[in-house]
Amino acid sequence: MILAKMLYFFKGAWRNICQCPLLCLAAVGTVAVSLMMVAFFGVIFFNFEQLTSHWGQQVQLKIFLEKAPNDTLLAEWRRKIEACPEVESVNLVSSAEALERFRKRLGKKADLLEGLGAELLPASLEIGLKAPYRNSSGVAAVAETLRQHKEFSDMRHGGEWLNRFDSLVSLLKLTAVILGGFLLFATIFMIANTIKLTLYARRDELEIMTLVGGTSLFIKMPYIIEGAVQGLLGGLLAVGGAYLIFKTFLHDNLVTLLMTMGVGEVMFLPSGFQWGLVSAGMLLGVFGSLPPLRKFVRMRV
Amino acid sequence: MIRICNLAKYYETGAPALTNINLNVSKGEFVYITGPSGAGKSTLLRLLFCGTSPTRGQILVNGRNITRMGASQIPYLRRQLGVVFQDFKLIKTRTLMENVAFPLEVQGIRRQEVAKRVFRALQMVKLEKYLKKYPLEISGGEQQRVAIARALVTDPLVLLADEPTGNLDDQTTLEIMELFKSANARGTTVIMATHNLELIRRHPRRVVVLKGGKIVEDHDTPLSMTASAGQAERSLDS
Repeated sequence: MILAKMLYFFKGAWRNICQCPLLCLAAVGTVAVSLMMVAFFGVIFFNFEQLTSHWGQQVQLKIFLEKAPNDTLLAEWRRKIEACPEVESVNLVSSAEALERFRKRLGKKADLLEGLGAELLPASLEIGLKAPYRNSSGVAAVAETLRQHKEFSDMRHGGEWLNRFDSLVSLLKLTAVILGGFLLFATIFMIANTIKLTLYARRDELEIMTLVGGTSLFIKMPYIIEGAVQGLLGGLLAVGGAYLIFKTFLHDNLVTLLMTMGVGEVMFLPSGFQWGLVSAGMLLGVFGSLPPLRKFVRMRV
Repeated sequence: MIRICNLAKYYETGAPALTNINLNVSKGEFVYITGPSGAGKSTLLRLLFCGTSPTRGQILVNGRNITRMGASQIPYLRRQLGVVFQDFKLIKTRTLMENVAFPLEVQGIRRQEVAKRVFRALQMVKLEKYLKKYPLEISGGEQQRVAIARALVTDPLVLLADEPTGNLDDQTTLEIMELFKSANARGTTVIMATHNLELIRRHPRRVVVLKGGKIVEDHDTPLSMTASAGQAERSLDS
């Protein structure tokens, strides 16, 4: 019985779509275009996030050592440092390694180092932090803990650079939240209004159905399903269309831009976000249909 | 079948649409509600199918007080009523068959049974050939016949008709009246709002005359054609 009813509702939704294909196309198109804007915003947001997280990996603490420790001492230091919950990795950079890095950085002028001994630069410990602590307060917390051990007296972390990095990331996040909020609001508004218009065009048939004994749910269900189908199609089109445009026009330009900033790879939307967009389309289709249906399907006027 | 006590309906502006209406309609009766435009005929019918709420008074349909009926119960009342409007109120995007089938589908009746009854109803109004046509592909008279088929397909206890022949020519009006009379002969109570006195003269039945929202005459017993229509006419003219 329930199955037969559901089948009837789906048939009704399909019939509605077939009977007013233009209205349906308008609704699907609006959902697709609106969600595509959200998708592009997502592409930019996730790539910037990738960029800031790449920058964040460079947030580290350095402890310069008077002389390179033997294995036993190094293991003990590692244990002490890794006891901090913020620490992700501890890496020993020997004097020779430090000199090699310096040589690379000097490039063509590396011959300036000719004749200098391998012990020119001190050995150091590079302490990498876990993702949530890659900011000035995270670094300060680790430095504070390690300062209790006198062997780690010579610590360096780019304090001012870190503060600027923190401000930039906060600014980017705030901009994303504000822009994303506006975009989401505009999207919901546009989709809800388009669906309202499609139902407004059918208000007579909705009224007639109430007059011949249709219950509220019986009348509304095919239209709610229709809204869900329109939203689903719009969501799929938005993701598909955004991918196509991303691959055709955006990918190469973004790669060039991000490579200059140190990130070699450009990403499309994560799969979770893609499914989220499709689901959002469907939900907007359903919830966009409810208020106009409540308005037009009234037993008593 | 229908009992109306002290019924009043005021518009939001406070103007009266109906005041102090008392009316009893027995099972199987055929009643004309007549009166000039703005007399309250359509409002009375709307109150009978719960299209609007009264300001005061009670309406009992088949022993059930419908004046304070909850919105969720109204569809079940409407399934016992057939309603026919002057503007037909057919769904233009659906075929005649789908239009007539809808009142049966909402009741969850099986598909084969629906098809059978829809065909029978359209056969009754002589439109069985047009099953797959859309309302705008047929004439106004035919559309009204489809609306009557839709109203009668559920075998309702009461048929309410609001100026059903208002937009139709004489020949079509006659055909529509025959359909109402045969439904009435099968036991359906018919309440028809009309200001067409010629119609009342030709098909004499009980006449309730409304004027300014009040019942000014009720020819309770079937009067002679001339007397009934004549009195109604005088009421309308005065």
